[in-house]
Amino acid sequence: MTVKWLMHWQPKPGTTLSTQILAEACQCVETLGGQKDGRWRSVLTFYRPMQRDANVPVEHPRDFLGLSLQEQPAKYYFILRSNRMVVEAEASIQVVMEKLQSYKARVILNFEGFQYKLGDFQVRVGKCVPSTSEALRGIMMEIEYIPLSSIEKSRQVLEEFFDIWQETISKKSLPGHFMHIDSNFGDYGLQDLYTSQHTAVQYATCMAQLIAAVRA
Amino acid sequence: MMRIQTPGLAAPPPPQQNPQDPASTMADAPPKQVATAMERLSRAARLIADIRIGADRLLELLFLSPESPQQSNKTIQFVLKEEATMRQHFQDLRSLGKHLEDSGVLNGSVKLRGNSWGLHMPLVCPDGAVVAYAWKRQLAGQAGASAVDRTRLALKAFTDQKRRFFPHLEDEMFIQHSEGELGVAKKLCISHSLLPGNNDELREGRMLHDVINTLQGEAPNIRIYTYRRLDWFKRASSLSLLLSHHLVDSSNEHNFQSTTNSRPVLGNAGSFAEDHIAVIELISPSVFRAVVSLHPAGSISPDAVAFFSSDEGGSYVHARGFSVFHVFHHVTEHADKAMQYFQSIGLDTSLLLLLRWICSYQTLFTKVCSKCGRLLAMDESLALILPPVHRAYHQISASKSYQNLLISSDSSHGCDFSLAYHIGCSADDS
Repeated sequence: MTVKWLMHWQPKPGTTLSTQILAEACQCVETLGGQKDGRWRSVLTFYRPMQRDANVPVEHPRDFLGLSLQEQPAKYYFILRSNRMVVEAEASIQVVMEKLQSYKARVILNFEGFQYKLGDFQVRVGKCVPSTSEALRGIMMEIEYIPLSSIEKSRQVLEEFFDIWQETISKKSLPGHFMHIDSNFGDYGLQDLYTSQHTAVQYATCMAQLIAAVRA
Repeated sequence: MMRIQTPGLAAPPPPQQNPQDPASTMADAPPKQVATAMERLSRAARLIADIRIGADRLLELLFLSPESPQQSNKTIQFVLKEEATMRQHFQDLRSLGKHLEDSGVLNGSVKLRGNSWGLHMPLVCPDGAVVAYAWKRQLAGQAGASAVDRTRLALKAFTDQKRRFFPHLEDEMFIQHSEGELGVAKKLCISHSLLPGNNDELREGRMLHDVINTLQGEAPNIRIYTYRRLDWFKRASSLSLLLSHHLVDSSNEHNFQSTTNSRPVLGNAGSFAEDHIAVIELISPSVFRAVVSLHPAGSISPDAVAFFSSDEGGSYVHARGFSVFHVFHHVTEHADKAMQYFQSIGLDTSLLLLLRWICSYQTLFTKVCSKCGRLLAMDESLALILPPVHRAYHQISASKSYQNLLISSDSSHGCDFSLAYHIGCSADDS
């Protein structure tokens, strides 16, 4: 799998998100030479345990994340941030979950947007919208360097690309900036070879930031 | 040489409806336009074939060494005649192209003009195949198949030409040519034996395993494997299977070591037949995979080199193939030039120099450009963001002093002294 970096939009404190920012970001990609390649979509679900008996203290984790990725339609990923665990399962696990009724989907976030090809890079720009409302919760970006699958070896390349990206987008004077958070993959027991599980971890890491940014 | 003559095919364009006035062709019914366009396309194809044959002949003539002044005179006469014929072909092709363009064959403009009876002008696909009726789906399949054939023929033709006109890459086997050129090919065979390429004295110099052992010592991070030619193709195809299942980290070679396909040449090559080695694979884990082809097998003369991502696999991964990634595609192009340079400065050192130079690409994704100081740069002409894909090859030498320099430098980088440049920053482009 090729190495991917996730970035989310950090708005300036006191400003609100708007789809204008998304449109500007897409334009920036195109000025860098990006060719629109299609749409992308990921679905993140926050699960919460169903308590049969309200008095019994819950031993299992309070909530965990489930992620469905476009590039892996047959798989579903579970992430437990507090326990630093990530699991790859078959997509049919969602049906099992529904039948078991042990965990309930609390919030479902849809990430959707456009995908661009820039030479050996692939860039995705999209918005984060909860399934229940149309309110814009966040703006996300994925950048991918396709020739490499080693995280270590691609670090410098992606860093520089991120710098080039920051330069380009700062010319638009938008209220805020994109941020990339380094996830500690080793904590989750993941290797240097990039996989979709790494993507899942990055989404989980982003979530905390994204929610905090929106609440502020 | 007497047999070479202007073929009957190079006839002047047969009298058709008035080709000068495109407006008059538009007055014809669409079926007639389509038929005319098809006919013109086939004429264009014939002219192109004639031009290629003419180019072939001219190249042959340039490489022939005339034995007598009378013969050299004849050669000159012939060159002039061939040149005139070629010029005429080009002119015919140009006018034909103009007509085709006007009638809308090379672009889709006719579709925009109304009243075409539902017929489309024949479309020339980028691979050269002609699709007469766009609605015939089977033709699309034929176009694809013909593209494969075309490519194969083109590759064969170019490889043959390369072998004939670049003697140090020449094949031992006698190459078959079309009837008109047999006489010429026999002459080349004589001059072939005078070349150092296949002589025994070369084998007394450096042997393949010496070269590889030297390299392994200099670049411990690079894994080197050797293959016989057929074994390489098996490996390349099996790579695509393994990589698609993510079963193996492409730089983990345990599975391959156990098979008899490859032999890591680390010690003295006693057991295996070194004179069948035709492909050398250099792997920089997670960075690149370079494939070098040797010709003839077992010798130390490289004849092709190509770079690929460590994740690439498939039958196109070979020394004459091109990576699907832009970065490796450009590195391969640059490597071709470097290889030719190394060959030009000395046949018995060219392989070692080439392999050393390839090893300098370990830092492809970490070493910044020596001119602009950045790793990535947007190349304006290609509209691509690339790392520095050029590595200088002029200062690499095979002398002993070089090896001392290497030992004293940072051992973790091995052959890292080569300067890196972006395509646009390249100081020397020779």
